[in-house]
Amino acid sequence: MQAGQSPKIVNLHGSLTVDRAAALMGEISEALKGGENVLLSISLVEDLDLACLQVFYAAKAEARAAGKELHFLGSVPMRISKRLVACGFLHGVSEHAEDFESALVGF
Amino acid sequence: MALSIDKFKSTFREEAFELLGHLEDDLLELESQPKNGELINSAFRAIHTVKGSAAMFGYDAVSKFAHEMETALDLCRNGTLSITKDFIGLALKGRDQLRQLMEFEEGVPTEIAKESELLLRRFVEFSKRGQSPGAPSHADIQGAGPVDPGNSSPRNAEAKTYRITFKPSKGIFKNGTRVLNLVEELAALGRADVFPHMEDVPPLGALDPESCYAWWEVLLSGPIDENSIRDIFIFVEDQADLRVEQVKEEADGSSKRLGDILVDRGAVSPGALREALGSQKKLGEVLIEKNLVSTPQVESALVEQEHLKKGQERVEAAAGSIRVASDKLDALVDLVGELVTLQARLAQTSLDLRDVSLSSVSEQFERLISQLRDNTMSIRMLPIGSTFNKFRRVVRDLSLELGKEAELATEGADTELDKTVIERLGDPLVHIIRNSVDHGIEMPEVRDLAGKPKAGVIKLSARHSGAYVLIQVSDDGKGLDREAIRSKAIERGLILPSMEIADQELYQLIFEPGFSTAKKVTTVSGRGVGMDVVKREIDALGGSAQLSTVPGAGMTVTLKIPLTLAIIDGLLIRIGGEFFVVPLSAVDGCIEIRRDDLAALGEKRIISYRDELVPFVSLRGFYEFAAEGEGEPEIEQMVIVSAQDYRIGLVVDQVIGDYQTVIKPLGRMYRDVDGVSGATILGDGTVALVLDVNRLALVVQRESVR
Repeated sequence: MQAGQSPKIVNLHGSLTVDRAAALMGEISEALKGGENVLLSISLVEDLDLACLQVFYAAKAEARAAGKELHFLGSVPMRISKRLVACGFLHGVSEHAEDFESALVGF
Repeated sequence: MALSIDKFKSTFREEAFELLGHLEDDLLELESQPKNGELINSAFRAIHTVKGSAAMFGYDAVSKFAHEMETALDLCRNGTLSITKDFIGLALKGRDQLRQLMEFEEGVPTEIAKESELLLRRFVEFSKRGQSPGAPSHADIQGAGPVDPGNSSPRNAEAKTYRITFKPSKGIFKNGTRVLNLVEELAALGRADVFPHMEDVPPLGALDPESCYAWWEVLLSGPIDENSIRDIFIFVEDQADLRVEQVKEEADGSSKRLGDILVDRGAVSPGALREALGSQKKLGEVLIEKNLVSTPQVESALVEQEHLKKGQERVEAAAGSIRVASDKLDALVDLVGELVTLQARLAQTSLDLRDVSLSSVSEQFERLISQLRDNTMSIRMLPIGSTFNKFRRVVRDLSLELGKEAELATEGADTELDKTVIERLGDPLVHIIRNSVDHGIEMPEVRDLAGKPKAGVIKLSARHSGAYVLIQVSDDGKGLDREAIRSKAIERGLILPSMEIADQELYQLIFEPGFSTAKKVTTVSGRGVGMDVVKREIDALGGSAQLSTVPGAGMTVTLKIPLTLAIIDGLLIRIGGEFFVVPLSAVDGCIEIRRDDLAALGEKRIISYRDELVPFVSLRGFYEFAAEGEGEPEIEQMVIVSAQDYRIGLVVDQVIGDYQTVIKPLGRMYRDVDGVSGATILGDGTVALVLDVNRLALVVQRESVR
């Protein structure tokens, strides 16, 4: 994250499933429109399905295209980490958001 | 004859203990994946084999008990009964009981027989339940099926490798399908390498959040038939493009080439491949540059190549390994130790005689011995992961007992260290993990209030660091209470109320005998025994234990353990007329310093080394050797060692050089000598003591603080 910029933090919590994907997309879009870099705080996420995971990938692509930065923040809930390992997105359980993000396949 | 039967019995017992170990692993995995047919089959095979072999060798109580467990597992396997948490609890108890019964070929003590009867009744009752409400249908159990008892070993079943392409339709979310669950179930069928494709996911502006863009390629190996793969997708077959192909491996067992994999997959034509192979660059790069394939296609093909290679290695490892009794290995290590000692003597003799041809033979002999030593030691190396599963059981049982939620995550299970070290690490690690569950992880409601997930995580990791292995146990619990530890330390007279002490040192007091801040003594902990035992055992292994904590966020215990205890590379030094060995792995460097400069430092025993202040100790003074008198050298030698995460200097009379050290236990006379961990025999037959660098560091550090 570049110095001097105050990032917008999006606090995520609970079950991020398909019925919340549109709202999640709206929230992140809004944050990206604000002209700031975006941090997604994932410590309190209890469940994550493919629809919301796709939103994260799409948001990263959007941020990259707009010359902004989008990163994860906090600690990664073990349940999420394990699920993503089983589905091939990670090669090993990542505890910290920074490691998680750099290990996320194709992110 | 009796001798050969005894030999078979001993093999049976070894194998049965191993199978019961696998059974425990399978049951623990089943708790989180109760519908995983492969796991149920594997557990069933284990118990079936134990039952059959026990009957053959006259272990009737074992055979009878295993029979009832097998019946219950069979009902779960064919879908008549469902696998519940209660059943897992019962099956784990059954497994423990079997382990206990294995100790008695006949004449099981009454008390144990009674326990067995009670447990057996519970298994019979469970089996009688028959079709229980909510029991899964056959289709719910993925991959389970009857096992041919004559073919009960999983190794005997034919392993196949499949390449599965799963492309869900865009609208698959609309009927509530949880795509990740399907992929998870698929991966659980066998050894899987899963490659997700996210390249079709558009940027946010173009995304339909209710459409699916992701797809997968999965390499799956194991004794799996195609139908069990297709069964997973049975309810989404009209909403996904599913391709299941069996991958043919190379007939000569060689690794498949990347180009062949891409041709097999239809990603590139044989002609285009031939053309690309003419280039000097890497094949993948050429094909991407020419836009013949995409980067994810190459990455996915590389995953397949690696998957097939690993499979081949497994087959080769299984075919080329034999089972050897561990005492034979110990005897081999002892003999190699004797050879190393003898070689040192030969080297010394050749030096004394100044015989060129003898020196040449001695050098060749030394090279061979060095290789023999490394090979022998590598045979004793085991992956530490072999012990990790027992800790998963500890976490499960203890958290249930305490009404907490906790799970164990492991990392670095492949890290290898000497089997003796692994065996001695078991108890300390159990103590640390129990401590984490009991004192670290909070009750679910407390965690919830603190904004943490209800289930705590205990992470056990291992990795190599030079000649050591670093083992870390960390939890995401409440961390250490600095004030409580300080009060307890004052109460126990370990520190004075007025004393300022660094956090790190304060936390180390937890390792003191009888130190516990628990308000009440439970069956689990609070007697202050556990961590004391940990410290003692780790010290005895020549290792060190460090604690760190973040209040409210958890605690980490780091154990630094030497890879082996038998033969090490050492640095031979002399003090007065005595020789000592410093483990080479701890040596940071050697420096020379003028005696006058050292004397000028007076009581302040600290020098500057690589921009760092390093405390030092004169071993001559420490071990109370008489002064050498007028013959003392003008220049002193100092060996800088790293221990306990900091450096200290050891002033010695002479640094002689590196030395292969066969570590022998200390005799009674030397047991109480501070800073010595073992002994070794030198080439001329004299004995040198091996320095315990960690212990010395602790003493020096304490003295420098004073």
